[in-house]
Amino acid sequence: MSETDFDVVVVGAGPAGSCAALSLAKAGHSVLLVERGPFAGSKNMYGGVVYPRILDALIPNWWEEAPIQRWVTRRQTMVMTPTQSLTIDYRSDTWAKPPYNGATAYRPDFDFWLAGKAEAAGAQLICSTTVTGLLRDGHGRTIGVRTDRPDGDITARLVIACDGVNSFLAKEAGLYRRDVDANSFTLGVKETIALPTDVINERFGVRGREGADIEIIGCTGDVNGGGFIYTNLDTIGVGVVLKLSKLGAQRQRPEEIIANLKAHPSVAPLVEGGEVKEYSAHLIPEAGYDMIPTLAGDGLLIAGDAAGLCLAAGIWLEGVNFALASGMYAGDAAADALRSDDTSAAGLAGYRQRLERTFVLKDHAKLRHIPHLVLGDRLQQEYPQMVANIVERMFRVDNPRPKPGIRRILTQERRHAGIRWRDLAKDTWTAMRGFG
Amino acid sequence: MAATASSSGGHERLRTGARAVRAVIVTCQKWVALGAADADSAGHNAADQRFGGTSAADQAALEWALRLGAARSEAVTVIALGPDEASKALRDAAAAGADRLLRVDSSTSIDSVDVAAAITSALQSLGAADVSFIVCGDYSLDRGSGSVPAFLAAMLGMAMALGAVGIDLADGTDVEVLRRLDGGRRERLRLHDSGVISVEGSTATLRRASLSGVLASKAKQIEMHTPTRSIDHVARATTMSTYRPRARQLAPPVGGNPLARLHALTSATHRSTHGETVVLDPQMAARRIVEALTVWGYLDGESGPAADAPTR
Amino acid sequence: MNRWPEISFEDRMSTVHFDVHERAHITVDGDSCHGCTTKACVVACPANLFVPTSDGGIVFNYEQCFECGTCYMVCNVEGAITWTYPDGGHGVVFRRT
Repeated sequence: MSETDFDVVVVGAGPAGSCAALSLAKAGHSVLLVERGPFAGSKNMYGGVVYPRILDALIPNWWEEAPIQRWVTRRQTMVMTPTQSLTIDYRSDTWAKPPYNGATAYRPDFDFWLAGKAEAAGAQLICSTTVTGLLRDGHGRTIGVRTDRPDGDITARLVIACDGVNSFLAKEAGLYRRDVDANSFTLGVKETIALPTDVINERFGVRGREGADIEIIGCTGDVNGGGFIYTNLDTIGVGVVLKLSKLGAQRQRPEEIIANLKAHPSVAPLVEGGEVKEYSAHLIPEAGYDMIPTLAGDGLLIAGDAAGLCLAAGIWLEGVNFALASGMYAGDAAADALRSDDTSAAGLAGYRQRLERTFVLKDHAKLRHIPHLVLGDRLQQEYPQMVANIVERMFRVDNPRPKPGIRRILTQERRHAGIRWRDLAKDTWTAMRGFG
Repeated sequence: MAATASSSGGHERLRTGARAVRAVIVTCQKWVALGAADADSAGHNAADQRFGGTSAADQAALEWALRLGAARSEAVTVIALGPDEASKALRDAAAAGADRLLRVDSSTSIDSVDVAAAITSALQSLGAADVSFIVCGDYSLDRGSGSVPAFLAAMLGMAMALGAVGIDLADGTDVEVLRRLDGGRRERLRLHDSGVISVEGSTATLRRASLSGVLASKAKQIEMHTPTRSIDHVARATTMSTYRPRARQLAPPVGGNPLARLHALTSATHRSTHGETVVLDPQMAARRIVEALTVWGYLDGESGPAADAPTR
Repeated sequence: MNRWPEISFEDRMSTVHFDVHERAHITVDGDSCHGCTTKACVVACPANLFVPTSDGGIVFNYEQCFECGTCYMVCNVEGAITWTYPDGGHGVVFRRT
């Protein structure tokens, strides 16, 4: 094999890229980590909660040093109509202690920290450098990347593309499925709103470093999607996730949909009086298992959002942990391939095997129909109203009329909402199969 | 100087300069933190090395230093004054092609005079006799007073051409500097073989560092220099405040109609009668300027700048 | 309904830091827009960079772009919007996301 500049070039210093670089650097390989932003994390945005347990292997006691805002001890799922809301509220003391569960963090902090760990382990990080394409030999094998700097070609025995949801590299290599289009993506928009720490503690019923995570369905009008509210120390993140194909087909703009959510009677008391500190937006690959591309080419692996590894399954909304894990496994598989000096797609097959053995693809395979159910029209447009009406009638004291039987309420409200038994049964079956 | 110090506002204040090994080219750059937020209650400080940079003028100065270095076949040394974050500015400069990096350790915000004194002492430790050109940006990212280059020229005994809107390097021996004057006029100064230049940001765009340059800059050694104590033989700002023009007493305007009185009051239709051309040595010229400004009503007798401030 | 004043779009965008490069990283093929009836980019772009003109075309800005990719994803004319990442070090810089 001819001499290359690096063993591995990792494109993108997000959670996937930094974990890949960290794992390879620990294995003693020369790694270049290329980031297009002025620092790692500068281009990255998410809802607000990360589940970093997967880091246990790479960074023992990560919680002692990671730039965490709050530990999520309170999870709420809210079903909303314009005038009603039903909340399931869970809290746990154990989530406030090591090894914790979910945490809120700012990505420009978290990703910067993680890239620093990769650097400390020996990876070379260069920022402000956009990778504009793959270098390939006559057989289509990836042999490096081209950057937008003068004299900017870098050769490597292997490239790991962690270049995010728009992954131009995976597209260039022809790894994406042809049927992936606007239906497979959602747009996340968010306001970071400043409120005093004690006001946040009071409004969300938390103390110290405890935090709340509220996921909302039924709050996005005609656009299928969902809403979220996360607490940081002295800000809250309030935003919505919007199905792209629906967003383009109606007239309400993203910031108007956030404004409607903020004005909802169940949300307004939580957010009012705060000052918007930052407005942000990012795409999310939400189609789950059905959009996951080919994960390896000759001399090329893809991980994180670039590989569509984002789980949007209603009660589970996760992405960063899948990026951390897929990056780490990509690094491990790459190290194996380098050791056996076979970085062809076949030599890199260990990557997919690792993902299939672990939660990364197990979760996605099990929940493959859930994203379509959660973002489908019935669950988005019809079920919230029906559920809210059922609960409203259950709790309404309509004296002098006697209480109606719950079965009767269910029957009447299903009919009232115009939902067919067949569809309800089908959706229930899909949910049972996925979640059960 | 006063404006520089008063605008510090908690930012870390870092300056860089570039110089050649045999004859020196110096530019005063400042790395300024652009923190969106103060440290939040988690102790995360947004005003760190992620959020900050140097001004367009400082970058133009670095570009001119590199061009001068190439034209004169001299190595370029970059000097940054400030805490550890200044290293980022140094490495960025090294990536673009600077040969030698020097950080003057300073963790606190200091006056322009002291910045210039620190850079001077650093240059002396490198061998100030070798200094050819010093190129500085004429403003920093936080809009200081742009007075460091003038202090440097005074302390090093060099000629200066400040506020350049254009530079003609020719072969790098005689450098021609185009300066902006009042009334849309321009002045062309020629510096022979040495001098202090400050440039506007529009004069050049800093070259994009090559990939190999960026990689090499990571391992580049940064030399440290401990500044000598602050100097006391120059005028110092005592109080800092926003500049407000002094109120002037005017006689009631004379005129037959409101328009005439308005003209009389504002002198809008008259060219200024102020102005004179004299040939004096620097000390006398400074005195004459202060005197004239006082007579014309722009300065009070007491609060004007000291007439013996260093000038060249 | 709101008890606090909703901020203007300009104020909203002024909370975001952009290091704008002179090269536009978005280009729009105006001819395609004239025949487009949906103009999904106009409503979907979170930074409101696409503005319809009275003659049925689109004017666009690239300066305050979040680099999300929504515009080319929702565009229903193949190739009407071309979109790349801005040059390295430029574009949006998030701080508290």
